[in-house]
Amino acid sequence: MSVYQLNRCVYDWVRAGEVNSHAGTDGRIGFDDSGYELTDDERKAFQARDVASLYQLGLHEVLLNRFCRAAGFARDEYRALLAPLGVKEERRGRWQR
Amino acid sequence: MAEIVLAYCASHAPMMSSARTAASQEQRDHFFGALEHVKQECVARDVQACVFLSNEHFTNFFLENFPQICIGLGEKNWGPTEEWLPIDKTWIPGHPGLANHIAEATLRSGFDPAFSHQLELDHGIMTVYYELDNDMRLPLVPIVQNCAVAPLMPVRRCYEFGKAVGEAIRSYRGLERVAIIGAGGLSHFIGNPRVGDIDEEFDEWFLDHLVRGDLDDVLDIPDSELELAGNGSHEIRSWVAVAGAMAPTNATRLAYEAVLPWITGMAVAEWDPNR
Repeated sequence: MSVYQLNRCVYDWVRAGEVNSHAGTDGRIGFDDSGYELTDDERKAFQARDVASLYQLGLHEVLLNRFCRAAGFARDEYRALLAPLGVKEERRGRWQR
Repeated sequence: MAEIVLAYCASHAPMMSSARTAASQEQRDHFFGALEHVKQECVARDVQACVFLSNEHFTNFFLENFPQICIGLGEKNWGPTEEWLPIDKTWIPGHPGLANHIAEATLRSGFDPAFSHQLELDHGIMTVYYELDNDMRLPLVPIVQNCAVAPLMPVRRCYEFGKAVGEAIRSYRGLERVAIIGAGGLSHFIGNPRVGDIDEEFDEWFLDHLVRGDLDDVLDIPDSELELAGNGSHEIRSWVAVAGAMAPTNATRLAYEAVLPWITGMAVAEWDPNR
């Protein structure tokens, strides 16, 4: 098992809803995650659409963004879920005066 | 030989289409006004085809195989991918002649772009392309860049790649008038605890360097530092590629708005091909 499997599962789920969406089909309905080698925590987080846990489990951030959109979370909703997980950044970029 | 008769870059937050009115009227006037300006230039200059540099968002590629650059060679590409993006889904005409020429020329220049005979175009290209051509009939050569999954092509290498693309376009005999367009950035954070933040200081710094044509400080920036302005800031790679294609011409800033409802620093800049 690896975080790859979690990323793969989420990616396939997101894409299932996009492919042929113009024809009115939604491939996410009935999506089967049993073939993915997920840990119990990963499977539980995916099935529960648990955004904070998916972030903590290492889902790629670009994919998490797409997942949230596809799962129907408004931006403010998922920001509220993720904000408590932030770590204060001490470094400064060269553009910061 | 083809000439680059139009060159510009624009941010591509999907909300510019899906939540257009969430931005203030003033911000919309500035941002879309700039896009209308380049659209009118495109019509006036009778552009025959456009080359679009933007980034991959896990639409065409996944972790098994994630190219740093992929050139769309096909006669057509499908878009937009997202089922929720309010742009009609359709086949976008490609330009295989120009696309193959760019692929061959950049290969000869020392780059190793992947290629695809059919790509899906997500909001990264479709939002900006739609504003350019509401009918979505202008032939489009997509060049998809990796701006998301480490290790990334260094920013300076993207600039050099853009130079090679510019030279390739200018050596193509099959067309006379081509546009080169970059879509992405500027600062934004997605899928992490800072989602919604915009680093206006970074955006101003970046635009200022583009306008002054003083890019060394930008091109040398390591990814770990660039990421301080957001994981979406890696998308400036499309902007620096266009800057490379148009060097030594400097950019002209057309618009910048930190649009909080779109969670992105939204900018438009163009390069005057006659300068």
